[in-house]
Amino acid sequence: MAFAVSVGGRRVECAADQTLLDACLRAGVWMPNSCNQGTCGTCKLTVLSGEVDHGASPLDTLTEEERGAGLALACQARPVADVTVGGAPEGRTTHPLRDLTATVLEVSDIARDTRRVLLGLAEPLAFEAGQYVELVVPGSGARRQYSLANTADEDKVLELHVRRVPGGVATDGWLFAGLAAGDTVDATGPFGDFHLPPEAEDDGGPMALIGGGTGLAPLEGIARTALRRHPDRQVLLYHGVRGAADLYDLDRLGELGEEHPNFEFVPVLSDEPDPAYRGGFPTDAFVEDVGSARGWSGWLCGPPPMVEAGVKAFKRRRMAPRHIHREKFTPADAM
Amino acid sequence: MTTTERPDLAWLNDVTMTELERNPYRAYERLRAEAPLAYVPVLGSYVASTAEVCREVATSPDFEAVITPAGGRTFGHPAIIGVNGDIHADLRSMVEPALQPVEVDRWIDDLVRPIARRYLERFENDGQAELVAQYCEPVSVRSLGDLLGLQDVESDKLREWFAKLSRSFTNAAVDENGEFANPEGFAEGDQAKAEIRAIVDPLIDRWIEHPDDSAISHWLHDGMPPGQTRDREYIYPTIYVYLLGAMQEPGHGMASTLVGLFSRPEQLEEVVDDPALIPRAISEGLRWTSPIWSATARISTKPVTIAGVDLPEGTPVMLSYGSANHDTGQYEAPSTYDLHRPPLPHLAFGAGNHACAGIYFANHVMRIALEELFEAIPNLERDTREGVEFWGWGFRGPTSLHVTWEV
Ligand SMILES: Cc1cc2nc3c(=O)[nH]c(=O)nc-3n(C[C@H](O)[C@H](O)[C@H](O)COP(=O)(O)OP(=O)(O)OC[C@H]3O[C@@H](n4cnc5c(N)ncnc54)[C@H](O)[C@@H]3O)c2cc1C
Ligand code: HEM
Ligand code: FES
Repeated sequence: MAFAVSVGGRRVECAADQTLLDACLRAGVWMPNSCNQGTCGTCKLTVLSGEVDHGASPLDTLTEEERGAGLALACQARPVADVTVGGAPEGRTTHPLRDLTATVLEVSDIARDTRRVLLGLAEPLAFEAGQYVELVVPGSGARRQYSLANTADEDKVLELHVRRVPGGVATDGWLFAGLAAGDTVDATGPFGDFHLPPEAEDDGGPMALIGGGTGLAPLEGIARTALRRHPDRQVLLYHGVRGAADLYDLDRLGELGEEHPNFEFVPVLSDEPDPAYRGGFPTDAFVEDVGSARGWSGWLCGPPPMVEAGVKAFKRRRMAPRHIHREKFTPADAM
Repeated sequence: MTTTERPDLAWLNDVTMTELERNPYRAYERLRAEAPLAYVPVLGSYVASTAEVCREVATSPDFEAVITPAGGRTFGHPAIIGVNGDIHADLRSMVEPALQPVEVDRWIDDLVRPIARRYLERFENDGQAELVAQYCEPVSVRSLGDLLGLQDVESDKLREWFAKLSRSFTNAAVDENGEFANPEGFAEGDQAKAEIRAIVDPLIDRWIEHPDDSAISHWLHDGMPPGQTRDREYIYPTIYVYLLGAMQEPGHGMASTLVGLFSRPEQLEEVVDDPALIPRAISEGLRWTSPIWSATARISTKPVTIAGVDLPEGTPVMLSYGSANHDTGQYEAPSTYDLHRPPLPHLAFGAGNHACAGIYFANHVMRIALEELFEAIPNLERDTREGVEFWGWGFRGPTSLHVTWEV
């Protein structure tokens, strides 16, 4: 007789006479544990659904009160039904995921191999600035992710920035081929944890944002939201591209700088030097500009190698890792 | 030891204390392979070296606790690690309330985080530090010192005490007559104890009259009839247990975990980026270099056969948990630190009814200390101009850990 134990998105098989801890460890799912005899309490977890037999769990380690509250010792508890367990209760709410049918309102070329796509929704979508939606590529059934450049109140017209990938199913084959205003697009969203903390927890601390290519999209929504909350906060937005031909939204971001004196937009060109712009990688530009990023939060979005380089750059300037947020544009076939 | 198939263990006669303290792994690896329960002459005792035999002895109904001779010489009687029956039950009931998970959860964060921050503030802008002396040990002793009621004893004094008690406790070498080979090695422990008494006696005087919420005040009063307190002579040996192991080991555990992570830079990076991995990193650190490497023992209460060896009643066996945690029967490439190895339980906190009483507290002290360290200095690197040396047989950890970072 065996039951399924679900923990952090993984499912593990656990025999009726096996402890939850033993089943998880054997399946390579780590959970804190030390004594394995029910005396230290390190392995305490919450049973979210299903039921366990507490076995020999001592009352000293697991009080009646805790049992009543759904806690269990993983090293002693055995399943008597399929169970779902969690660590400390989290309690963050997320916006419900929805299937959307959108109408293309506008497709415009804004830079080399780069398009802005505006999608009109019949019903507003609840999301946080920085999240993304998934589009269904017509005909192929393939799904591709695109970040929203919107702020949360721009909830009826979704703005996407798309970069062409040669031979790409979604881009070369559709978004840069037949797509036109009036088309219908199937989508799902919102997804992702790349967004600001709730307003009440946002202390207005300084922020560094680095986007590679169309990785700029969610950063536009995040930067605008952050500045609306705290108009004078320091916000450095780096846009890394190969050449000046890849730059876009210079006017829009320039205006943002006029409204907010502590906002700075810094385009950085890696491959095609131009005397009007900084050269090199945006992550290096950040390291040159900022001596210490203690107390800052960091926002990285774009190709995975750029995001990795950004994490290193931020840590080099001693930004606390839990304040480093990242969104990688991982190609579909690498996920 | 007369069976002919038994490998020749004459090599054990040449094992010295100095060798074990420098690196016990070589000798114990051979013990695990040849004789998982063996008499080791320099220690004057049987030694259990594999995971299976350590666990068996530690949890067997045919054994009870006994303090090692050098430990008993250092702590006196009744130390919690060396007593049984009612006295052990009373001492456990005395120390456990403050260490219960529900209790620890209430205050651990407020206790340890400010301490960790305070020590970090002293050096976080220096770009270099020696973490054992500047961080791991101070955070460890200050956290427990404040819990015990020793707020007025400087961290450096607490560090000095555990170091002296530790060397005295593990001054285990005996000569061919079973006498201590280095009796003068107990002097510094005696001197530390005299100093401890001079400082703690007046505190005890005060707590007897004016109980407060410190752990030692509770030790004196809890469970006693009104108007009575536990005798100080009765609790001092256990105070020494705390002032040695409980003070020293979380510092050892943090430092070993850091050295292990430095040996795997990609794993260090992972842990710095995701603090949720810190407990797992610590668990592997304690397995990799167990802070209480070989300090506690059990004694047979009747004739028993363990690992094929017949032991008469009254035979002490030392538990080498640090060796058990390198058992190749359990762990592949045990001398490698690997955050991602199959996460099997380890024996770093011992087993049976004398298993560590401070597991929950110790794990959280180490976790919070490393969280704060990585938060303040996410670009930490080992200073490769300086080596890292581990020392100790009874208790083991890095003697120093030099690091640098860009400021
Ligand atoms: C969370 C998330 C958010 C995203 N947001 C955006 C966004 O806002 N804007 C945007 O333009 N893209 C974004 N992407 C990437 C996007 O989802 C697609 O992967 C991309 O548009 C390519 O899809 P495709 O079907 O055209 O190419 P595919 O058919 O999937 O790929 C064709 C070939 O090109 C390779 N390839 C794919 N992408 C790249 C690349 N960038 N560089 C080099 N080779 C590549 C593939 O490995 C494959 O071999 C995001 C990805 C993720 C995971
Ligand atoms: C990482 C840090 C620590 C480690 C690795 C550790 C490990 C151990 C080990 C191996 C034992 C002997 C177990 C046995 O003989 O089977 C022990 C005993 C003990 N430990 Fe710990 N310990 C640590 C920290 C602490 C702390 C912080 C406290 C108290 C606050 C503590 C309290 C005790 C007590 C009271 C005992 C004696 C238990 C008994 O004999 O009944 N320990 N510890
Ligand atoms: S691991 Fe100690 S109580 Fe479960």
